[in-house]
Amino acid sequence: MTSSNGVGKDYWDRVAEKLSGPTGSKESCDYYPCHHHGQDCTLCFCPFYPCDDERLGKLVESRTGGMVWSCQDCLWAHRPDVGKAVKERLSISSRPSINELHGIKKEMEQRFPIAAKPLMVLGATSGAGKTLLVAAICRILNDRGWRVAPFKSQNMSLNSTVTARGEEISRAQALQAQASRIEAEARMNPVLLKPKKDDVSQVIVLGRPYRDMNVPAYYSEFTTEEGPKVVKEAYRHLASRFDAVVIEGAGSPAEINIADVDLANMMTAEIADAPCLLVVNIEWGGAFAYAYGTLMLLPPERRARFKGIIINNMHGSAADLRSGIDELERLTGIPVLGVIPHIEHTLPDEDSQGLDDRGGEGVRVGVIRLPHMANFTDFDALEIGGGASVTFIDRPSEVAAADAIIIPGTKNTVADLQWLRRKGLDRAIVDARGKVPIIGVCGGYQMLGGRIEDPNGVEGDEGGSYEGLGLIRSVSRFGAYEKRTVRVEGTMADGEGEVRGYEIHMGATESEESPLFLLRSDRGVRGEGSISPDGMVMGTYVHGLFDRPPFRSRFLSLAGNSGSRSVIDYDATVEESLSRLARTVEEHLDIDTMLKIMEAGP
Amino acid sequence: MNNIMVLGATSGAGKTTIAAMLCRHFASRGMRVSPFKSQNLSLNSYVTATGEEIGISQAYQAWACGTEPHWAMNPILLKPHGARGMQVVLKGRPLTDVGPDNHAPREMLRDAVVEAYGVIAARSDIVVLEGAGGAAEINLSDRDIANMATAEMADAPVVLVGDIDRGGVFAGLYGTFLLLPPERRKRIKAFIINRFRGDASILAPGIEKLEELTGIPCAGVLPLSQLRLPAEDSLDLGRDRGTVAGTGDGQVAWMESLEQLYTSSKEHLDYALLERIAGTG
Repeated sequence: MTSSNGVGKDYWDRVAEKLSGPTGSKESCDYYPCHHHGQDCTLCFCPFYPCDDERLGKLVESRTGGMVWSCQDCLWAHRPDVGKAVKERLSISSRPSINELHGIKKEMEQRFPIAAKPLMVLGATSGAGKTLLVAAICRILNDRGWRVAPFKSQNMSLNSTVTARGEEISRAQALQAQASRIEAEARMNPVLLKPKKDDVSQVIVLGRPYRDMNVPAYYSEFTTEEGPKVVKEAYRHLASRFDAVVIEGAGSPAEINIADVDLANMMTAEIADAPCLLVVNIEWGGAFAYAYGTLMLLPPERRARFKGIIINNMHGSAADLRSGIDELERLTGIPVLGVIPHIEHTLPDEDSQGLDDRGGEGVRVGVIRLPHMANFTDFDALEIGGGASVTFIDRPSEVAAADAIIIPGTKNTVADLQWLRRKGLDRAIVDARGKVPIIGVCGGYQMLGGRIEDPNGVEGDEGGSYEGLGLIRSVSRFGAYEKRTVRVEGTMADGEGEVRGYEIHMGATESEESPLFLLRSDRGVRGEGSISPDGMVMGTYVHGLFDRPPFRSRFLSLAGNSGSRSVIDYDATVEESLSRLARTVEEHLDIDTMLKIMEAGP
Repeated sequence: MNNIMVLGATSGAGKTTIAAMLCRHFASRGMRVSPFKSQNLSLNSYVTATGEEIGISQAYQAWACGTEPHWAMNPILLKPHGARGMQVVLKGRPLTDVGPDNHAPREMLRDAVVEAYGVIAARSDIVVLEGAGGAAEINLSDRDIANMATAEMADAPVVLVGDIDRGGVFAGLYGTFLLLPPERRKRIKAFIINRFRGDASILAPGIEKLEELTGIPCAGVLPLSQLRLPAEDSLDLGRDRGTVAGTGDGQVAWMESLEQLYTSSKEHLDYALLERIAGTG
């Protein structure tokens, strides 16, 4: 039908016919999808054919002998934005000259790059914050008009999800696709490892189970043969369809024991020929050491791919880091592009599950994870004997799912009470009154009461009087800057069962309720703590209260009858969280330099 | 009097537990052992028999030594309470609140560390010291009194612990080593890789490379424990924490967990090397 020197008149008629029809996928076509699901069919007959552009197609031998230009691998012409733009640009009534077509194609290439600009985000450790940072970068680029796709060549995670086409991929890439405002697909996470037991993982390739492999087999067989091919093809596919691909590494790129077979990090950077950013989590300390050590353990040609360092998860002021950042930049010659603050969010983490979707074993005790939580080792003892599981929770749905609720001690009662309200946890706790046992320890005890008086601002930042949760009729007062630190022992209020522990607190509580414990001292016996008339709400200053079995058993027995409680479906807030995340990252990351890095490539 | 100090590449690397196992080890050899952590940033505290407040980790390490918790085992306890700063507990008693505009007098803190170490050293055959956070925070340099400054004050040999569960352990250990000035690097006598899952033989090429780069031996690879010891800060909660062993009394259960951990650690840790480092071997 054609030669590479030009096309016949009947070919142009077909081009014009397609261009005058609707844009989008022509799912009714017998050949659909001749390239991939979701392809745009406007340029089914491509006006630029044969383009002789080897980035898009290639000469192949035809069945009748001779050479023919093949578009089998060209995905660029099937981008919806390319189809739409070409349709708008071409005048269908008259056939343009070859020169005109050549100019129009050049113009389209300017607007829609034939190969996406890659950017790879690697971490100095797992949990450095790569996943959310990639999601934020995807959203930031998309907000600026880029069509962007996320990519993680290999992910080890048990938190998978299913795409619209029934493929299994990591939940993290699905979230990043949502941040990019596109449908998730298997190519975004072509290899998913789901750990089964010991060293064995189920290997999922392009969304389908491939086989179970142990670690040595995976490294010696898969990552040297099949793996790179799969990754290369999946990346090429995305790169032909998007303006940018934001790639996430896995764990650390400097695992020198597996450097040659680590598919997920530098091998992927080389496949995509991507410039790289290194993220390091400062929350755990050692951030400078991890960043510097990572770069120094890489061979020079791999180190050269790194164009920026990001310090993530900073609590407090970034100014405190200045001298360390200067030194790190001086030592590595690589700029620090930003210090991202710790961000409170409700987005799913790759590796953690909350109480509401995990369940837990036996009596499920939920401890409210207050920001300034103190003495939470108190609750370790509840798991002794295996009858209960303790989970630290911070979502209303988790409070609703718990069989027993603990509000722990805190170093800042007033600030944490305000946090409790902001998160909507106060209502969830009040709703649970009478249904499950609720105990407040120390600061948590103060919160359960009617009021907290802190005229001098001993606990909070400003002095004042604050309304408590009102589950116990009591008032707590912070007077002078004084602290009570004493060991105590006694019994439960009915005189049964030994209790032993210690008090560490500022402030004191006056209660109208019956005492929870009777404590002995050289001055006789005194009541301590509070218990509500129905026995289901308790408060105390005694730390270590669950160490001795009697009170522990009594508390857990109160939870025993609650049965399985309603689990509230939660999380309509992902979209809001993604956008908030992107704004915070945009504010603290040097986006202009990041764009220049993408433009310049490795 | 001998000593040995455990420093970490990060917080949560396992310093506290490894120090406790060393306490347990030297105590089992019939020595009078004490823990020492000059400065602890923690909201989990304990009250001594005489009413002083110290980090709960030092209380628990004291029990591992078979001795009672003492204020001098943790002379500075910092209890953060939000944007305004933190409460400084000095020698077991609240001193003051500090914040961005209000620092505790550094001289006073240093004096307290020296005094406390003197008290501890006088009653011990060996002191097991523990650092705080990462040992190479180059933004703090001379302000970090809890790590190398304490090692120098006590003239203690150092064992550096890295956490492999988070990945990047070789980078963390190598980077910590590289960022220390040469005279401080010399104090590091061994590495320990902690919290490993799976078959340790896969690490061998990495360990050899690290030993070759630094000239420092690896004293062992400890498996991720399924037993829980007291957490120092809330960062530990997001992690695989295992469960508490034993029955009955909480404090006893912790000690039972430690005993099991210590027993199984003998397979993985080169205690003979650690004894030679401490000068007791």
